[in-house]
Amino acid sequence: MNWLKQTFTGIGIVRLLVYAFFILFLILPLVSVFLVAFTNEPINLFGSLISLDTMQTTIEQFKNATLDNFKAIFSQGHYFDALKNSVYLAFMVSVIVLLICVPIAYGIARTKMPFKRTISALCTIPLVVPTFISAYAFIIMFGRAGWVTYIYQALGGEGLLIDPYSMTGIAIVQVFFFFPYALWPMVAAFKISDVSLEEASRNMGAKSWLTFITVTFPLAIPGMLSTALVIFSVSFSDFGTPIILAPTDLNLLVVEAYREIAGFFNWGGAAILTVIMIAVAAFVYWMQHAFFKGKNYDAVSGKPKQIKLNDNKALTISLSAFSGFVVLVPLLAMGTVFLQSIATTWGKDPLPNGYTLAHYKTIFTSSLGNIQNSLILAFGALVLSVIIATFVSYFVVRQNAASLDFMTTVPLIVPGIAFGIALIQTFNTAPLQLTGTAMILVIAYTIRRIPYMIRSTVGTMQSIKADIEEAAVNLGASSLTAAITVIGPLMLPGIAAGSILVFVTVIKETSVSILMAPAEWAPMSLAIFQNVLRAEYYSAAAMSIVLVVLVIVLQAIANRLTSKQSS
Amino acid sequence: MGSVVVEQLTKNFSGVTVLQNINLDIKEGEFFALLGPSGCGKTTTMRCIAGFEKPSSGTIKIGDTNVNKLAPNQRNCGMVFQSYALFPHMNVFDNVAYSLNIKHLRKSNVFKKLGVYTRMLNSKIMKYPKDIEQKVMDILAYVELTDHAKKLTSELSGGQQQRVALARALVMEPDVLLMDEPLSNLDLKLRHTMRNTIRKIQQDLKITTIFVTHDQEEAMSMADRVAVMKDGEILQIGTPTDLYSNPKTPFIADFVGTSNIMPGTVLNRENGMTTIQIGNQQIKSTLATELQEVQVVIRPENINVLDEKEADYDNAFEGIIQVATYLGSTVRYDVKVGEHELVVDTTYESGDSILSTGASVKLSVSPERVLLI
Ligand SMILES: Nc1ncnc2c1ncn2[C@@H]1O[C@H](COP(=O)(O)OP(=O)(O)O)[C@@H](O)[C@H]1O
Ligand SMILES: [Mg+2]
Repeated sequence: MNWLKQTFTGIGIVRLLVYAFFILFLILPLVSVFLVAFTNEPINLFGSLISLDTMQTTIEQFKNATLDNFKAIFSQGHYFDALKNSVYLAFMVSVIVLLICVPIAYGIARTKMPFKRTISALCTIPLVVPTFISAYAFIIMFGRAGWVTYIYQALGGEGLLIDPYSMTGIAIVQVFFFFPYALWPMVAAFKISDVSLEEASRNMGAKSWLTFITVTFPLAIPGMLSTALVIFSVSFSDFGTPIILAPTDLNLLVVEAYREIAGFFNWGGAAILTVIMIAVAAFVYWMQHAFFKGKNYDAVSGKPKQIKLNDNKALTISLSAFSGFVVLVPLLAMGTVFLQSIATTWGKDPLPNGYTLAHYKTIFTSSLGNIQNSLILAFGALVLSVIIATFVSYFVVRQNAASLDFMTTVPLIVPGIAFGIALIQTFNTAPLQLTGTAMILVIAYTIRRIPYMIRSTVGTMQSIKADIEEAAVNLGASSLTAAITVIGPLMLPGIAAGSILVFVTVIKETSVSILMAPAEWAPMSLAIFQNVLRAEYYSAAAMSIVLVVLVIVLQAIANRLTSKQSS
Repeated sequence: MGSVVVEQLTKNFSGVTVLQNINLDIKEGEFFALLGPSGCGKTTTMRCIAGFEKPSSGTIKIGDTNVNKLAPNQRNCGMVFQSYALFPHMNVFDNVAYSLNIKHLRKSNVFKKLGVYTRMLNSKIMKYPKDIEQKVMDILAYVELTDHAKKLTSELSGGQQQRVALARALVMEPDVLLMDEPLSNLDLKLRHTMRNTIRKIQQDLKITTIFVTHDQEEAMSMADRVAVMKDGEILQIGTPTDLYSNPKTPFIADFVGTSNIMPGTVLNRENGMTTIQIGNQQIKSTLATELQEVQVVIRPENINVLDEKEADYDNAFEGIIQVATYLGSTVRYDVKVGEHELVVDTTYESGDSILSTGASVKLSVSPERVLLI
């Protein structure tokens, strides 16, 4: 009785609801999709708890469960190829990203290379562009009618310089649009590093670049491997690039899983691919935490100190040229999308034949709905995230809710397409038939992006001293009232910054939108995707520009909020 | 308003005993100080009373109510936190009105509740009712903060923030006022003023007050009674004068005021006089003791410096001045006597000469002033 009384206080009920939300919409779908890999049919775990009939069906389904799908991974070349290709792609991308980041990071951290500031600023561009837009940009650059192809052929080349519709094409797009994830941690590591060790080395007469190679670089290796794993999972989980660029004969897990469910309604096939995806992603996440915990860049000791910057002309100029090339590619890609968006027509020529704003006019008349949908859905996810993240961080920081802390990191690991498939399977029948509704879409967005929000709110929560809340309780407030009147308002800046982040990422979100959005709720990303598939490049371009501008503006607001907060 | 009775309070933190068998009997309207070095469990005791820690065993009563099972927000203990814990997003008025808002919240229906919540989130949208307005302004006037009502708490000085915290706790008319080292964040001068302010308010309102401090001067100058704590236990409870003149342990003797403490052996007891051997000296005390080995405690101000011409005393010793410190109305000498160094305070009046380092002096102590522990 006493236990009941303690649980059913206001805040206790909220806590139960938060747990219920994550169990219902995160844990249950993941468990279900795992089971479907055995049963080949969607199973209704939630329904089984409510209705005896459903329970009966579910038991029948379990009786017919087989290991066929798991065997198929190894026998049927199909699934195994997909796994092999996906791992190969992610591996190559992370290796190449590391290789191109080392010189750029060294240039930014340790030299006086020309245009350092400009290059640093341009390095943020790739982060605001959703990958399916970058992939599409590569098509209009490197495709048959692309201007790169035009120049290449004008110089005497045959066919295409690079076929965008290939493994190479996908890898290139990912490399040029994911490298900033690795670059900034690396710059930080090269900047800090162990100054005393370096000085010792330099005192012994070593040249500065020799010191860098023999002392600084080795110290940064564990951190670099950890970053490589991050790139691996980003590439492995990326849906936007492969869905646009993968040719039909190239099996990749994400694309294959999408085709199984969207094309053939093969529940078992989609489930097994989802299970494989999650297993690989979880393995990589585990490796990163098991081997590199505490070996991140920030574990490298020493304070940032004025280090003498290398100003060797030959070195700095070549570094600058190389970095310039790397940042120029995404810039050109976006420039191309922009040109396409204002082109009357653009054939196989270096520049469009004429310029017009007609495509934007079309967008803001006939496709206005998509923009509205994006904004409404993102706003819904924002509201839901704010509420849940605020309470989650309260429970995690003040009540040491370890299981909740764990549950809310799970979405970081699960690839978007995998999560989408799990949700579709779980909620496609009564009593919770949500598949195809805007609600499940909002929930999916929320769960996928809430870890970032929670990180922000947990930080703010930790900075609010416990005695402030105790003071409120001491003055007679219940925990819930204290949360509403004191903790909530104090967390507002953190919440604001976090929620803009959620808003932005939801607008950029590709996998869940493409997989789950019903036609009447199609957001911008789905509209662009469909336009690209239909080869309606001009309106796709205009819509892409609108999306990217929206993202940049919101991101700038978020940055201002966070810098205000920390100052 | 009420008394506070703590019986056999014990508290463990994951197996470590932090409080052991604490017994307190605090009378209604009493100003009671918990005194002890940092880490001895004062805050934990107070948090048990306020309800923020659950006792491992023992009972706590406020008035006639056993509060063990009451949530912290139902105990009606006003608490002043060491850090003040003012709400940084509210102005002074809103801070002080907080508990009154909560009382309204409890009494009202759902619709009115929304109104109160709105007011607590933004008092510009939703105005305060007259009774709250009046009460808050009264208490603000009382702590002399009327002009600062609309300021954010971060715009106030330390002493003003302290008074906001006090007003916020007082306005709820608590049964007990709990204060955890409330003066430790203030500078010396302000601390002295605030001591008087708090003491005066306490006496005006006759509010039962528990005051936690590690500063013996603070405890002794403010409290009606003081409990001295060490390592989670209460060593002695008494009035300040009681503690000072009859410390039960050497620790208290040393902690409460300055003391000369020396180990000695009881030789005999004749004619109401106990003779104790300290090193190669003997000293007499009027106190009786059962013990053989004792600690001899002498307060610095009870040692007299004798003139050459004065007749012999009972307890007279030769010594050599090591250090002389001029302290205004007193002069403190460190005097070497045998193998001990004694602290001696003498009153100083203008025109008196101060003895210089290396001078030999004769000291004496009246046997009534020689404490045996
Ligand atoms: N929440 C806690 N968990 C574990 N140990 C604690 C906790 N709170 C206090 N303690 C320990 O209890 C002892 C007494 O602490 P406290 O009551 O704060 O002492 P005081 O206020 O007298 O300085 C200290 O040794 C402290 O480390
Ligand atoms: Mg304390």
